[in-house]
Amino acid sequence: MEKKTAVYICTGCGIGDALDVGKLLEIATDDYSIPICKEHPFLCGPEGVEVIKKDIQEEGINTIIIAACSPRVNYDVFNFGADKIVERVNLREQVVWMQPPGEEDTQMLAEDNLRMGCSKANDTELPEPFKPEEEISKDILVVGGGLAGLTAALETAKAGYKAVLVEKEDRLGGFLTKMKKLVTMPYKELSDTGLEDLVKAVEDNPNIKVYTSSTVEKISGAPGLFSVEIKGNGNSATEKVGAIVQATGWVPYDANKLDHLGYGKFKDVVTNVEMEEMAAAGKITRPSDGKDVKNVLFVQCAGSRDPEHLPYCSSVCCLVSLKQAAYIKEQNPEAVNYILYKDMRTLGQAEDFYKKAQLDGNVFVRGSVANVGEEGGKLFVEADDELLGERIRIEDLDLVVLAVGMVPSTQPDEIPRIPAPEGAEGADEEGMIEVTPDSGFYATKALGLEYRQGPELPTLKYGFPDSHFICFPYETRRTGIYTAGCVRRPMETAKVIDDATGAAMKAIQCTEATSVGMAVHPRSGDMSYPEFNMQRCTQCKRCTEECPFGAINEDEKANPLPNPTRCRRCGVCMGACPERIISFKNYSVPMIGNMIKAIEVPEEDEEKPRIVALVCENDAYAALDMAGIRRMQISPYVRFIPVRCLGSVNLVWIADALSRGIDGILLMGCRYGDDYQCHFIKGSELANTRLTKVSETLDRLALESDRVKFVEVGITDYEKIPKIIEEFMETIEEVGPNPYKGW
Amino acid sequence: MKYFLYWGCSLEGSGANFLVSLKPVFETLGVEWEEIKDWNCCGASVSYAGANDLAIKVLNARNLAIAEANGGYDIVAPCSSCYIQMVKVNHEIQEDPELAAKVNSALAEGGLKYNGGVRVRHVLDVLYHDIGVDKIREKVVKPLGGLKVGGYVGCQSVRPYGEYDSVERPITHDRILEALGAEAVPFPKKMRCCGSGIFLPEMEYCFHLVKDILEDALTHGAQLISTVCPMCAMNLEVYQPRINKALGTDFDVPIVYLTQLMAVAFGGDLKHDAALHYNIIPPEKIIQSALG
Amino acid sequence: MASYDPSFAREVFENVDYGEEIKMCMQCGVCAASCPLSMRMDYSPRKIFVMIRAGKREEVLNSNAIMLCTSCYSCKVRCPRGIPVIDVMHGLANYAIRQGYTPRKKTAVFGQEFWKQIYRLGRIDEKDLSRRYFFADGFTQGIRNSLEMADMGITMFLHKRMKLLPERPIKGIKDLRKMLDKAAQMGKGGGGAI
Repeated sequence: MEKKTAVYICTGCGIGDALDVGKLLEIATDDYSIPICKEHPFLCGPEGVEVIKKDIQEEGINTIIIAACSPRVNYDVFNFGADKIVERVNLREQVVWMQPPGEEDTQMLAEDNLRMGCSKANDTELPEPFKPEEEISKDILVVGGGLAGLTAALETAKAGYKAVLVEKEDRLGGFLTKMKKLVTMPYKELSDTGLEDLVKAVEDNPNIKVYTSSTVEKISGAPGLFSVEIKGNGNSATEKVGAIVQATGWVPYDANKLDHLGYGKFKDVVTNVEMEEMAAAGKITRPSDGKDVKNVLFVQCAGSRDPEHLPYCSSVCCLVSLKQAAYIKEQNPEAVNYILYKDMRTLGQAEDFYKKAQLDGNVFVRGSVANVGEEGGKLFVEADDELLGERIRIEDLDLVVLAVGMVPSTQPDEIPRIPAPEGAEGADEEGMIEVTPDSGFYATKALGLEYRQGPELPTLKYGFPDSHFICFPYETRRTGIYTAGCVRRPMETAKVIDDATGAAMKAIQCTEATSVGMAVHPRSGDMSYPEFNMQRCTQCKRCTEECPFGAINEDEKANPLPNPTRCRRCGVCMGACPERIISFKNYSVPMIGNMIKAIEVPEEDEEKPRIVALVCENDAYAALDMAGIRRMQISPYVRFIPVRCLGSVNLVWIADALSRGIDGILLMGCRYGDDYQCHFIKGSELANTRLTKVSETLDRLALESDRVKFVEVGITDYEKIPKIIEEFMETIEEVGPNPYKGW
Repeated sequence: MKYFLYWGCSLEGSGANFLVSLKPVFETLGVEWEEIKDWNCCGASVSYAGANDLAIKVLNARNLAIAEANGGYDIVAPCSSCYIQMVKVNHEIQEDPELAAKVNSALAEGGLKYNGGVRVRHVLDVLYHDIGVDKIREKVVKPLGGLKVGGYVGCQSVRPYGEYDSVERPITHDRILEALGAEAVPFPKKMRCCGSGIFLPEMEYCFHLVKDILEDALTHGAQLISTVCPMCAMNLEVYQPRINKALGTDFDVPIVYLTQLMAVAFGGDLKHDAALHYNIIPPEKIIQSALG
Repeated sequence: MASYDPSFAREVFENVDYGEEIKMCMQCGVCAASCPLSMRMDYSPRKIFVMIRAGKREEVLNSNAIMLCTSCYSCKVRCPRGIPVIDVMHGLANYAIRQGYTPRKKTAVFGQEFWKQIYRLGRIDEKDLSRRYFFADGFTQGIRNSLEMADMGITMFLHKRMKLLPERPIKGIKDLRKMLDKAAQMGKGGGGAI
């Protein structure tokens, strides 16, 4: 579009008092030939906004540069429609609130920020939403017909959308079919499972298509454009869906590994799952001789919270044992239940059910099992009772129930192996290598995605599909695919229903956003998407391998095949490409490069160093703003450039900066690793890896590698900002000014 | 305002200074009171060794039934043990109709019945909530001149129901002391047990309890300790020489009843109205020097 | 190795006043931490409760813990399950004495003499109670006890803190005794005054 640009500088919030606004306006007018440059004392107020709107209407302004507060605030106020470009220059939080007023350096900082803003606005184009040739589907595929799957399908239908439900067994219900009763809100008594009603509601619903005795064979495409092949009953069917909910549930931990607790040795030692099945089938009796049950002992945390088995807690086993104790008491009020526990984990209102179990006269012993044995046809358990302070023996037991934990259906029995890529270490004689848990090749078959990065959802720990659990717990590492229920975390029925409802809602959100060309999350509403100039592509495969979301497929010749609806618009591909062929309409390699070139670099003798800080917009930029809000003062020599993710940082920017005489480059981004914070999963980790290659280059150019530094900054780390900047400035002072200044 | 005054067994004997000083205080404040006809002992805290729980409840229910039948006024119990025994019976009868039926079937043996209609109040409750510190302050003619008093609350005056004051941080005793012109010294052990009814048979253990309380009050600057329970008064006061001998301390802390201080502040005679000469560790000097 | 025996717990639930309350105990230990005499007890209140559940009958009924409760109510106020710990301890003490156990004999005797006075007179005669307590172990020991505490008695008397005349029974003493007898009969576990 033909741009007509205007610059508006707000002098409120202390900006006018600290800066020479007139000089700023001059720069905009003279250096960047911007036709309209105005100042206003209260730009975000109704009068200020009116000024801008008037110029839009009367002067035909369509590119608006606002030099005022941080872009993180007032974005609703400065919204002039999707057909206008709005660029924000941060003069408040990151200039006048962090620098002394009226000083020369403060003025220079403000001027550079304005220059960068004008340059950026110049390089920005309006994004055009991605419109695929195929029609976008808003139907939802639900894989798995247990409580989570049934609820997701039902909620989808209730919201007015169509659902396709695929279940591998011949009947719907999942584990619910094995349960006698439930314990759920309000946790005062046992409740009915409600299975029949739920299944009927799903089967009767015209908006839900049910496939039983079927599995998903493969899925190709992208959000809004998924093509699902379903095989079952000797037939094959294809469905077109917009988003997917994976609710494939759990399996119980293999009790054969718990022979030290007597499983497999004595017939009367059973798991909680076997106990539930017995209860649901009719009467609970001794498996060995079918006689009545009088004394039962429940072993909690059987193979859970144990580094040799399942290291985690499955959260429901305590309630389940209390429930089963109630079954026993119902059957025979004279029966005695012993519950041998490490901790009683009945969270929240479930504590009421614990109280009921106590009132019923169940015996709670806190301790760990030392030995399980048999004597005179009955079982005995020896345990170290922590509260009594001695070892005890509980005898005359008819049944010992091991409360085993949940393993997600995604966890493979054996770690899969794939052909090792070239140069990889650890390959065996056949050239195969074990995959890591976060690979798309790790999880057991459920979706069969035709994605270059693997057919299943990547996991992080213990086989559970991973999401950024702090910020986006429902999501996964594949856009448009949501997990629900125990496949993503062990949970009880009340939470499963909540979870499935949420996943259905997210899936619907995804299809709606995709249908208008918007990114789903975390850059919700973003209309831009990466475009590839394939002429200069060298098929190096960096973009296809490094995309954290598997958005880019490959053809046989290793050419990348982008799928914009899978994309989260982070720009990691842009940062990876050595030929720089990838760009967004409003975010590109040359754009940031030009911003760096717009910075005025003083001569060496002026003794004013210049630092460029590339700041991730998620946490680090927010932390800077918060430091500003708290009026923390920092060095005036740092120029902050927000980027979408440190993963989008292309190494050419570092070369550009150094060749212009910038003394140091600081990368501020989220934490990575097992406990990662990076909102794009791998972005900051990739940035750090790429930087190691840069230090080699720098050393060869006789430039100190200390000049480039990566720092992890979380949103709560704002207090550390002054120290971080100070330490880096000290390093730069030590290595001295960039010898390329003034070239 | 009219109340039943139930002073219990100890206020005629070891707690005599409490009863003697309470009467003129009530008169000054315009409180009318009446004795419960033919009242019996409340059972205090040690009866469980001789009787089961129901018998102790019936013992107390008799007093409540007589009070209910003769006007139903609120019962004021100066002794904390008597107070808590009756309040407890009241609570449990009101919450458990089965228990109420059992109690009444025993009471019927004596031709009595209790319908749960009487309220039982502590002296501090009546002074603070019914009369109010403002009225108390009005009646003060001889302010206590910043006398540093450790307001010992003890156990059974507020725990476990906390009906008129907080169970963890009570204030009524202190506010009344302040209204008298004294300074209520804050000391954490004011909520600690003095040993109560098992002091005599378990002297050796209880000496330590009292030592901790006295030391804590003195460390926080108390010149003397005021109390509202005859059990506490006796345990804190009378055994001091023995404690000194057994534990090597040198306590000589006067223990007075709150009503004794009130009688003095209301201008009463130190002997006749405040019964200060009943106290074994004499408080007269300290009090007189504070009056100035 | 101790064998877990739930029968004592059942005995306590059925026969001890407030005994069934201990079902709700979750062994948090706040009662033990709040109790002023817990350090002198052989087993803290929390421990007593878990021992009851484990079936340690002799240890519990012989313990000094159940007799050392001062009725300060700190435990009852703080128990997160609302268990009236003091009432359970008193109930256990009463049960132990009825069953013939004599933990802390002097304290038990004091309490028993207290109750006997109430039964006899309807009120407590403080000096008479002390006298009976001192002489509970026989005449010679009684003289010794009295002499030891004589100074206290004299001081109290001189300060008008001791009633001279003996206490007379209340008018309704016969009715009171009938009521108490009936209550003893109806008591938990067949009650019975001692």
